[in-house]
Parts: sequence; structure tokens; C-alpha cells
Amino acid sequence: MRVLRTIVQTLFLAGVVAVMIRGAMGLTASTCETYCPFAGFVALYSLLRYKTYTCAMNELHVALFVSLVALTFVTKKSFCSWVCPLGTVQEWIGKAGRKVFGRYVRPPIAVDRILLNLKYVVLVLVLGLTWTVWQGHLGFRAYDPFYIIFTGFQGHETLWFSIFIGIGVLVAAFFVPMVWCRYLCPLSAVMDPMSRAGFLRLRRNPGLCTDCGICDEACPHGIPVATADEVTARNCTNCLECVEVCPEKGALELTLFGK
Amino acid sequence: MKKVIVIPAAILLLILVAFATMGAYRVPTLVVEFVEKRPAVVASVEYTVDGLTCRGKSRGFAGMISGVEGIVSLTTYVRSNTAIVEYDPTLTDPVEIETAFEGPIVHEDEDEEYFPFKAKK
Repeated sequence: MRVLRTIVQTLFLAGVVAVMIRGAMGLTASTCETYCPFAGFVALYSLLRYKTYTCAMNELHVALFVSLVALTFVTKKSFCSWVCPLGTVQEWIGKAGRKVFGRYVRPPIAVDRILLNLKYVVLVLVLGLTWTVWQGHLGFRAYDPFYIIFTGFQGHETLWFSIFIGIGVLVAAFFVPMVWCRYLCPLSAVMDPMSRAGFLRLRRNPGLCTDCGICDEACPHGIPVATADEVTARNCTNCLECVEVCPEKGALELTLFGK
Repeated sequence: MKKVIVIPAAILLLILVAFATMGAYRVPTLVVEFVEKRPAVVASVEYTVDGLTCRGKSRGFAGMISGVEGIVSLTTYVRSNTAIVEYDPTLTDPVEIETAFEGPIVHEDEDEEYFPFKAKK
């Protein structure tokens, strides 16, 4: 499972790096943003209200966002742990941090619960600013680590503080796993309600589970898998790290429509 | 755990679906009417233009062709870098329009010429 996921992650990461290199060489006008479904979500406003697109938003963004909605309903937030290059990079950095510290470093539960809601604030801010102050312009680029990092810190809207944001997210991911995805990513906030409904989800078999808690420790999103009968958590990305480390075969199983 | 294959299969399928269906969401990035009254005869020409990547660039493009006599309207689609120009064939032609938008812009601050648009042949 882990090998399959790593292959898929590597393919998408390689794709976005290839776009970045080709862009730097002047071989394409495309950037990582060309394939970002979050731009599709932002574009819905102008598409539905004015029947037009602003800034660089276009029909591919919207089509990718619609596909993302379908994907999330079927497989929860698998986009984050299987597709998103920023998620991949953070995961790998987080695993390096785990090796150094011997475990994932997590904020206290009370703090974590508060931080988990920050991404909704970010989402409201991004939408609000885009359609008021920024007048339909994708002004979030300067603050978006996906854009900042995967344009090689050289995107045309990368400002001086953007570099600190990009590097800051990468460094923070070493200490707190998936820090951007968990606490700040506005696309993650959009996917949350759909992710709860995701048909492909993990189920714990209490008869086989020994309550060892290894799955809880392995989850980069800090989901308490060991105490759940079914993992419906909005943050579950179906990375299946918990299944990978589970010593009891069959104690954790992936179910589709409950079967 | 064979169900895990559902994830990459769904990802691949939905990416293909996105590319196949994006036409359903195609609307213009910019529509500009240059004249109040349309002429009796209107022809149109479609260009694929390098550099036509956003709404701001579309406005710049509109500014560059606005000086050509006989231009009726401009519609742009940035995903495909397409500019559809309607014109009065008795007053201008596609070559003159292309010459207008491929011309240089002089940057106010740097007093330097640059060429933001180029038609793809």
C-alpha cells in the first residue's frame, strides 16, 4: 500500500517539478497554479455570478475542482495524501522529523482543536479578499506555499515575505506533521464536510484490535484511530499509515459503502 | 485491502473526466465591444496568442488592438490563449490586427520596449 501511494505521490510531485523547471527555462507559460483545483473553487463565484473568469482562472480549474469534490465524496481527502505535491513534501519532511524526535511532535489536544479551525478563517479571508480588495485577482498567491514553493520561489507574485512563508511551512512541517494541511490549507477546509461523508473509509474490528495504539502514533493527522469503530474524521486522508503499522491483520480494514 | 486500488483508480479517472469535461465550464475571460453600433458586415478571426494568460493581459491585448479602425469586438479565453476578434472587413483585415497586437509596448518607467503578445502560427 505504502509503495503504491509513494509511486502515485512521486508521479504528481515529479509532474509539478517538471512544470516548474520548464517554466524556469521559458518552455511553458504554465505554472503549478495551472492545475490547482482551489483556483476552481475561487472561480465559482465569478462563473456563477458574472459568467466569466477573472485573473488566470479558467475552465480547467473548475473541472478539476468538480473532480476533486467527486473524489472526496468517494475516497475522503485522499487528494491530500496521494496527489497534492505540497502534502507529499510535508509528509516526507514530517517523517524525517519523526525519525529525529522518535515520534510525531503534536501540540496539546486543546491547542490542536483550536488550530484545526484556523483553516476556515483562512478560507473566509481568501474568498473575502479575492472578491473585494483584490477585485477578482488571485492575490492569495503571495501567501500560498504551494504557489511559492512550486514556482521555485520565483513566481511573478512571490513577494519578499512569501519566501519566509514557503520556507517557514517546510521547516514547521519538520516539527509538526502536515502543519499547513492540518491547520491552514483553505482547500482542506473546503473538503472537510465532503470528507466526513467519504464512502471509502477505515473500519476497526474490535474483535481483532489489541488496543496497542500504534495506529494513533502513526497517523500524521493525529486521528485517534484506536478508539474509533469507523474513521469518519474530517482530517483522514486515507494515507493508510495506520493500516501499514497495525500488527494485527484485519484489525483495520478499508471499507467501501460499509462493505 | 484490495480496495486501496480504488484510490489511484478514482484519481486517474477523475483527472481524465476533468480534462474531458472542462469545455462545459468554458466562458470568456473578457468580452469587449469597441463600437456602439455594429457595422452591416462583420467578419471574425481567431488567434492563438502567446502571452494571453489572464484577464489583465486580455485587457492589455484589447488596448493594443483598440486603435485599429474597424475593430468591432474582442472575446478572449485564457485557458486556450484564444482571442476572437470581430472586425469590419471593409476597414481592416487580420494581418493589420495581428501587426497591432504584436507591436511593442514601451514601459513607462524603464523606457524599454517589450513585446507581450505573439500569434502562434
